[in-house]
Amino acid sequence: MISLLELTKTYGRGADSVTVLDRLNFEVGAGEIFAVTGPSGAGKSTLAQCINLLERPTSGSVVVNGEDLSSLPEKRLRAARRRIGTVFQSASLLSRRTASENIALPLEYLGVTPGEIQARVGELIDRVGLGPKAHSYPFQLSGGQAQRVGIARALALRPSILLADEATSGLDPDTTSSVVELLKQLRTDLDLTVVFITHEMDTVRQIADSVARLERGRIVETGALVDLLTDHGSPLGRALQPRRGFAAADDGATTWYVTYDSADVPGDWIQRVSADLAVPVHLLGASVETVHGINTGSATLGIASEDEGLVGHVLTRYGLIGTPDGRRESGAGGAPISPVRSGAVPALEGAA
Amino acid sequence: MSAVNVSSGVGGLIYVPRADVPVAELPALLLPAYGETVLMVGIVMAVVLVIGTPLGVLLHNAAPGGLFERPALHAVLGWIISVGRSLPFLILMASIVPFTRFITGTNIGIAAAVVPMSLAGIAFFTRIVENALRSVPPSIVRVARASGGSNLQIMRSAQFGEAVPAVLGGLTIQVIAMIEYSAIAGTIGAGGIGYVAVTYGYQRFDNTVMLATILILVATVAFVQVAGDRLVRWVTPQKRLQRA
Repeated sequence: MISLLELTKTYGRGADSVTVLDRLNFEVGAGEIFAVTGPSGAGKSTLAQCINLLERPTSGSVVVNGEDLSSLPEKRLRAARRRIGTVFQSASLLSRRTASENIALPLEYLGVTPGEIQARVGELIDRVGLGPKAHSYPFQLSGGQAQRVGIARALALRPSILLADEATSGLDPDTTSSVVELLKQLRTDLDLTVVFITHEMDTVRQIADSVARLERGRIVETGALVDLLTDHGSPLGRALQPRRGFAAADDGATTWYVTYDSADVPGDWIQRVSADLAVPVHLLGASVETVHGINTGSATLGIASEDEGLVGHVLTRYGLIGTPDGRRESGAGGAPISPVRSGAVPALEGAA
Repeated sequence: MSAVNVSSGVGGLIYVPRADVPVAELPALLLPAYGETVLMVGIVMAVVLVIGTPLGVLLHNAAPGGLFERPALHAVLGWIISVGRSLPFLILMASIVPFTRFITGTNIGIAAAVVPMSLAGIAFFTRIVENALRSVPPSIVRVARASGGSNLQIMRSAQFGEAVPAVLGGLTIQVIAMIEYSAIAGTIGAGGIGYVAVTYGYQRFDNTVMLATILILVATVAFVQVAGDRLVRWVTPQKRLQRA
C-alpha cells in the first residue's frame, strides 16, 4: 500500500519558486491499479520522481506500508528505493547488456550472489514471457519486448509497489494492450500496488481501477474508473471517453449526444428507445466498450422527434443522458462529418 | 646521394661532408628509436588512463545535473583543464621545465618528456571521458538510481559501462595525439622516432631517414586507428553482431 500525504514539491526559492505539486493526497491499496493522468506540464513526471524517491518532496510524505520513506537520510533512501519498482518510458535498457543482464542490474547493485541472480532472472524472464530472448541485446528487441525487460527489472527485488511512468507511451496500440495485460496479470499474481502515470486516456480505460486527474500540480478529480465513466457530470469521466466524429442527421431529425450514465444500460437500448418513441433512431457515431464488466461510452443519434422532453425522459429510463442538437457538455469534440443523403446508411466511426 | 652541407658550430662556419644513412643501417637507427616512442607513449597512456578516467567521471558528475553536483569544484576543475588544453604542446612543454626537472631531476630524455606529455594527455582525456559520459542518456542514470545503485555503482555500470565505445573511440584519438606529442618532445631530446626525424631528417637533411620515419609514423597511426575501430566495434553489441 502506498499513500501520499500532503505531498508538495517546489522548485526554487522565494518569489521565483514554482510549486509543481501542491498538497497531493491519495492512497492506493495492495492489488489496486491507480492511474494518474493529466496534460503535459501538470506535474506527472515530478510526481513519478517523488514516488520512486529520486526526488525528495519539499513537504509532505510518501508512505509505503506504514513507513514514511521520503524523510529518510540519503543512505537509507537508496535502500528504500528498492521497495518501489519503476517501469520507465521506453524501458531505458543498458545497450551493452543482454536482456538477462539488464534484469540482473538491481540484483547486482544489492550484492546478490551470481547463482541467486541467475535463478531470479530466469524466473522473471519467464514471468514476462521473454524466455527465448534472454540473451538478446536491446537493439534486437521490439518496443514491447524491451518494455517487458523493463518490467522484469522493476520486479527484480520483489517490490510491493510498482510505479509505471509513461510505461506504454510510444508503443503501438496492440503492444500497449499486451503490456497492459501483463501488468494486470502481475498485479493479481503478486498482489502489487500499481501507480500508473500516463497521458493516454485509452490506456487508463484498459488498466485502471481508480483514476486521478492532475492539473497544474493539483488533483482536480479522482474516483473509481467505472463511476467516472458512468457519471455524465464528471469532467474526468468525459475526458476519459474517446470523442468520435459523427454523420449529420436526416432532415427533420434532431441530433442527440447520449452518454451511458449508469451501470445497467441494457444492450438493446437503441431498439427500445426507438420502440418507446415510435420513431426510427439513427446511429450517427458511437464509442462503446465494456469496462470492468459494465457498458460505458457515448453515442450520437439522429431522432425524428420534436418532443425533446419526451426523448430525454425515455433515454433516462435506460440509464442514459442525452442532450439535443449534438451539443456536448464539455467543450470541443468531434465535428459532424460530411452530410449523408437521406436514406443512405450513416457512416459510422467506432464500433457500437 | 651525397652533398656538402653548411653547418654552423662553435668553431665558426665549417664544411661538413654529409651522407644519408645507408638503407641497410636504418633498422639499427630506427628500431631502438621506435622502441623508445612506444615506451614513451605507453607510459603516458598508463598515467593518462589512471588519472584522466576518474577525473573525467568526476568532472561530469560534479556538473549541474550530475550525480553529486559541486558547481564550484566543476568550475575550478574545468578551468584548469581548459588552460592545459589551450596551450600548444610545445609551449606547455617549455613552460613547465622547472616542474619537470623537479619531478624527474632532468629536462631531457624520455623521463622528462613523459611529464609534459602526461599533463597534456590528462587534460585531453578528461574531456574525452566527460564528453563520452555526457552522451549517455539521463534516463539510464535514472534507471540505475531507481534500481538502488550507489553513486559508485551507477558511475561504473551505467555511465561508464554505456560510454565504453565512446571512451575507446576517444582513446584511439588520444593515442595518435600522444604519438604526435612524442615527436614534438623529440625536439627537446626526448628520444624516440620524433627525435630521429628532427636530428637526422630535419637538421641533417637526411631525406632517407625522414622518409623512413614518415612511413613508420603513418603505418603506426593507421594501425592504431584500425585497432581502435575494431575495439569499438567489439564492445558495441549492435556493430559486433550485425557484422555477421
